[in-house]
Amino acid sequence: MAEANPTRRLIGEMFRRQRRGVALTAGFWSLHQVCEALVPVAIGLVIDQAVGTGSTWAMVWSVLGVFALFTALTMGWRTGLWFLSKAELEEAHVLRLQVVRRVVTGRGISTERQTGELLSIATSDTQNASELLEIGSRVVSASLGLVVSTVVLLRIDWSLGIGLVIGIPILVLALNALGPVVERHTSAKQESLGQAAGTASDLLTGLRPLRGFGGVEEAARRYRTASRTSLRANIGAIKAGSAFVSVSTFTTGLLIAVVSALSGWFALRGRITIGELITIVGLAAFLTDPVLNLAHCVFQLATARASAARVAEVLAAPERAASGSTPAKTGQLVLDDVHTAGLDGLSLKVDPGELLGVVTTEIAAADAVTDLLAGARVPERGSVTLAGTPLQELDIADLRRAMLVEPHAVDLFGDSLREALRTDDGQVDDGAMTEAMTAASMTDLGKELDHALLDHGSNLSGGQRQRVAVARALLADRPVTVFRDPTTAVDAVTEHAIAEGVRAHRATGGRATVLVTTSAPLLDRCDRVVFVDGGRVAGTGRHRDLLDLPAYADVVLR
Amino acid sequence: MTAAILPVASGRATAAAFWRKLRRYPLLGLASVLVSAAASGSAVMVPILLGRLVDLVADRGSTHDLLRIAAWTLVAGLSAAVLTGTARWLVAEWGVRACADLREEVLDHALRMDAARLEAAGSGDVASRVTDDVEQVTDATQLAADVFGALVTVAITFAGFATLDWRIALAFLVVFPVYAVSLRRFLPQAEARYAAERRAVAVRTQSLLSTFHGARTVHAYGMEDRQGARVEQASRGAVDARLKAVRGFLWFANVMNYAEAIGLTAVLLAGFLLVRADASTVGEVTAAALLFHRLFGPLGMLLVTFNDVQSAGAALARLVGVADLEPPARRGGDRPTTRPPTSVVATAVRHHYLDGPTVLHDVSVEIPAGESLAVVGESGAGKTTLAAILGGVFPATGGDVLLGGRPIQDLAPDELRRVVGVVTQEVHVFAGTLADDLRLAVPDATDQDLHAALKLAGADEWVAALPDGLATRVGDGEHPLTASQAQQLALARIALVDPPVVILDEASAEAGSAGARQLDLASAALLADRTAIVVAHRLTQAQTCDRIAVMAHGRIVELGTPADLIAAGGAYATLWAAWHR
Repeated sequence: MAEANPTRRLIGEMFRRQRRGVALTAGFWSLHQVCEALVPVAIGLVIDQAVGTGSTWAMVWSVLGVFALFTALTMGWRTGLWFLSKAELEEAHVLRLQVVRRVVTGRGISTERQTGELLSIATSDTQNASELLEIGSRVVSASLGLVVSTVVLLRIDWSLGIGLVIGIPILVLALNALGPVVERHTSAKQESLGQAAGTASDLLTGLRPLRGFGGVEEAARRYRTASRTSLRANIGAIKAGSAFVSVSTFTTGLLIAVVSALSGWFALRGRITIGELITIVGLAAFLTDPVLNLAHCVFQLATARASAARVAEVLAAPERAASGSTPAKTGQLVLDDVHTAGLDGLSLKVDPGELLGVVTTEIAAADAVTDLLAGARVPERGSVTLAGTPLQELDIADLRRAMLVEPHAVDLFGDSLREALRTDDGQVDDGAMTEAMTAASMTDLGKELDHALLDHGSNLSGGQRQRVAVARALLADRPVTVFRDPTTAVDAVTEHAIAEGVRAHRATGGRATVLVTTSAPLLDRCDRVVFVDGGRVAGTGRHRDLLDLPAYADVVLR
Repeated sequence: MTAAILPVASGRATAAAFWRKLRRYPLLGLASVLVSAAASGSAVMVPILLGRLVDLVADRGSTHDLLRIAAWTLVAGLSAAVLTGTARWLVAEWGVRACADLREEVLDHALRMDAARLEAAGSGDVASRVTDDVEQVTDATQLAADVFGALVTVAITFAGFATLDWRIALAFLVVFPVYAVSLRRFLPQAEARYAAERRAVAVRTQSLLSTFHGARTVHAYGMEDRQGARVEQASRGAVDARLKAVRGFLWFANVMNYAEAIGLTAVLLAGFLLVRADASTVGEVTAAALLFHRLFGPLGMLLVTFNDVQSAGAALARLVGVADLEPPARRGGDRPTTRPPTSVVATAVRHHYLDGPTVLHDVSVEIPAGESLAVVGESGAGKTTLAAILGGVFPATGGDVLLGGRPIQDLAPDELRRVVGVVTQEVHVFAGTLADDLRLAVPDATDQDLHAALKLAGADEWVAALPDGLATRVGDGEHPLTASQAQQLALARIALVDPPVVILDEASAEAGSAGARQLDLASAALLADRTAIVVAHRLTQAQTCDRIAVMAHGRIVELGTPADLIAAGGAYATLWAAWHR
C-alpha cells in the first residue's frame, strides 16, 4: 500500500494536534466506563445487602449509592463528549482548511477529482476522518472498562476471571478479522455515494444550459442510474455490517451463557454467594458493552480511514506545475523560441510600460500564450523569462505579486462588490476602487460598493461580470498584467470605453499590459500588436498598419 | 451570504413525506417490524432466564435444571444474534431504499424548479442539499435502523417486566414522565439549533464550492490567504453552530441519565418492598434489575443518536422542502419527425426579478417563421431577459408570448424544448464521455446523429482528433476542452434536438474572441431555416440577421433590417460606426 504512509502520517498529525482534547475525552470516558462497570456490582450489592436482608438502612444507603454512582457516570460521559465534540469539530475544520489551502495555493494540484468530489472531501471526508479521534478515545475507555470488570471478577472467583481475561481478547481479535470485509464494502459504498454526489453537483452546475436544450429528463435519468448504483453498494455494505453484528452478538451471547452456567454451578455448590452470582452475571452482560464497543470501533475505523486516505491524497497531491525560489524582479517579459502545443517557435518581448496586443489566428495559440504566462504550462523548447529568470524558477508568491494573468472564465468571490474587487489585505481606499471601476466602465452597476452579490456574482450579467474582473485586475495593479479576451460579453460602445480606461489606468509607472485578444477596439489602443499565425510571429506593428495584412484583417475585422 | 434559502419542510410534513416513501415497500416494512420484534424478544429472554437461574440457586435446585436454563440461555442468545443481524439489515435496507427514492425525487424537482426561485437561492444551496444533506440522511438510515431496533427493545422489555411482576413494571413507568418533561423542553430548542446548524453548513458549502470552482482565479492573484480566510469564516460558523447544538444536547443527556438512576432506584425499591412483604422473589427482582440495566444500552443509544437523528431530521426536512416543490406538469408526446415552421410573437412583455426594478417595459415584437432577429444594446439593457422569456426559460411577469400561435405557458416543458432551443450565456461541459454529454439532449441519438450535429457545429475535426473520439471523457478533471470547443458542443446539442426556434444568447461572445469566427460559422449553420433570436455582441453577427432590434433600458428603441437601421442614422448607426471606427 503506497498511500498508507501519507494516511498514517495524517492520522498521527491529527492526534498530535488534538492530544489535549483526546486525552481529556479518554479520561472522562474511562471514568464513565468504570462507573458503568460498577452498576451491575452495585445492583448485586443492593440485592444481596438490602433486598435479600430487608434492612431499611441498607436500602437507604443503596439509593444514595446509586445516585452517587450515576452522578459520576453522567458527568464523565458528558464532559468527555464535550471535549470530544470540540476536538473533532476543530480537527475537521483544520483539515478542511488544509484541503482548501492545498487546492488554492501556488499553482494548485493535479487531481482527477471533480469539483463535487473535492467538495465532498472537504466536508464529509474531513468530518469522517475526525471521527478517528472518537475511536481513539473509545478504545482507551472501553479497554479500561474491561480491565476494571476483570479485576472485579478476579476478586470474586479467579478461575472465571482468568477465563474472561483470555477469552475476551480472543473474541475481539476474531471480530477484528472480519474488519477487512466490512471495510471493503464500506469504501465501495462511500465511493459510489461520492460519485452520485459528483453527478448531482455537475448537473446542477450546468442547470441553466441543461434547461436550454431540454436535457432535464435525461439528466434526472442519469442521476437515478448513479443513485441506484450507490443504493446497491449501500445495501452490500448493510449486509456486511449486519453479518458482523450477528457474529458479535452471538459471541457475547455465548459468553453470557457459559459464564452464567459456570457461576450458577459455583453458586449451587456454595463457592460464591447469590449477590456475587448477580454481579458476575451482570458484569458478563456489561462486558458485552466494551467488547461490542471495541468491535464497533473496528467497524467505524474502516469508514474513517477511507476518508482520511482521501483527505491525505488531496493534501499530498503533486503541484500542477513546478515553481522555484528565486525572488521575482520586474523587467522585460520574454518568450524566446517557444515550442508547445499551438506554438511553433514563438518569440516576443514585453517591455515595462508597454501595452502589447497579441492576436492569434488559432485558439490553441492564444491558449498556449495564456497558459505559458500563467505558468500553468512549461514550454517543450525555448523559454519564458521575466527579467531574465524562467518563470518556473521564480518564487510563486513573488511571481504573483509581479505578474497577473486574469483568467478568461470569470470567477467572483465575496458577497459584495467591494469584496469581489479586493484581492489582498492591504488598505484600499474607495477612491482607488471607484477609479478602477470607472476605467472598466462599470457605470451601470452604480456607485454602491456594497452592492450585494449572490452566489459568486450570479446576479450579474456576463458583461457585468467581465467588467468586474477587469476592474479587479486593474485594482490589483501588478507590474505586468495579462488579459485574455476580457471584453467578449461586452457591447461595442462599452468595449471602446474599457479600452480607453485600461490604457489610461495602466499608462504610468512602467506598468506592462498584455492583451491576448482579437477585439479591434482593444487592439487599436495598443502600443504594439504581435500577430501570431501558424504558431509563430507573422507581423508586428500598430493595429492600423497590420490591417494591411489580409490574414490579420480577417481575424480582427469581423 | 444574502442568498434567499430554499424552503424547508415542517416537522410534520417531513415525517409524512418520508412515511409515504417508506410505505412503498410494505413487505420489507412488515418483515422489518416482525423480525425486529422477534430479535428483541429473544434478547429479553436472556435476563429473564438469568433471573430464573438466581431463583434456582436460591432454592438449591438441581444441576440438571441449571443445565436446562443454561441451554435455553444459549438458544436465546443464538437466535437473538441471528435475528438482530437480520433485523438490522431489513430495517436499514428499508430505509436506504426510501432514501434513494427521496434523493432522486429531490434532484428531479431541483432540476425542474421554478427558474426565478433557483436564481434567487443560488446553486450552492441546492448542491448542498443533494450532496451534504443526502449523504447525511443516507448515513442516518443505518442509525435510524438502530434507533428503531432500540425502540422495539424498549417496548418488548416492558412486556418482559409485565411477565415478572406488574408492580415492578409500574415502578419502571416512573422514568417516562421524566423523559416527557425533558423532551418537551429540549425538542423545540433542539429543532431551532439544528436548523441553524444546517443553514451554517449551507453557507459553508457555498463558500467551498465557489472556491474550488474559482481555484484558477485564486491562483492568478495568489490570494489563497484571503480566500482561505473566507472559507475559514464560513467553516468556523458551522463549527460554532454545531457546538451550540451539542451543548443543548448535553443538558438533555444529563437529565436522561438521572432518569435511568430514578428508574433503577424505583425498580430496586419496589423489589425491596415486595420481597420484604413476601410478594415477590429475589430472582424476580434480579431479573427486573438486569432487564432494566439492559435497557441502558438501547436507551443510551437513543440518547447518543438523538443528536444525529435530530440533525439528520433537519437535513431530511431540507430535502423534503425541495421534494415538495410543485414541479411543473409533465406531459409526454412523441418527438415530431418534421420541424413545423414556428413564429414567435411577444406582446407587451414586462418583467422584473423578485423585488427588483422592472427590467422590461412593454416589449412587443413579432418574428415570422424562419426569420432571424438580432437583439443588440448596451449591457443591462434587458437583452438576456428578453431572450430568456422568449425561450420560455422563465415566464414574464406580464404580457403574452406566442410560439407558433400558441401561448408559451400552454406548452409542457418537454414540448417547449422541442419547439425552442436556448443556448445560454453559461457554458458547461457535463462530466462523462463526449457522447454522453451530447446524448443529454437526445438520449436515443445514434453515433451518426452525433457526428452530423458535431459537423454542423464545426466540431467534427477536433472531435475526430481526440484520443478516444466520441468516447473521450470530458468535464471537470478530465480531457480539457477550450471555451470555444465547449460552446461548439452547446451548439451541437441544439442541432441534435433540431427545434424550429433557436435562441442564442451571447453564444459566440462568451467563448472568447479568438474562436469567434469558427463559432459564427457554426451558429449561422445552426440558424439556417429556423426562427432565430440572437443576442449579438458582435455587430457582424447582427448584420447577418434578417432584422435587428436595438434595446435600451428595457425597451426596443429601434427595429428594422440592418440596411434600414444604418440608413436611418439612429442608435444602431452610431453603434455600427463605433464598431467600424
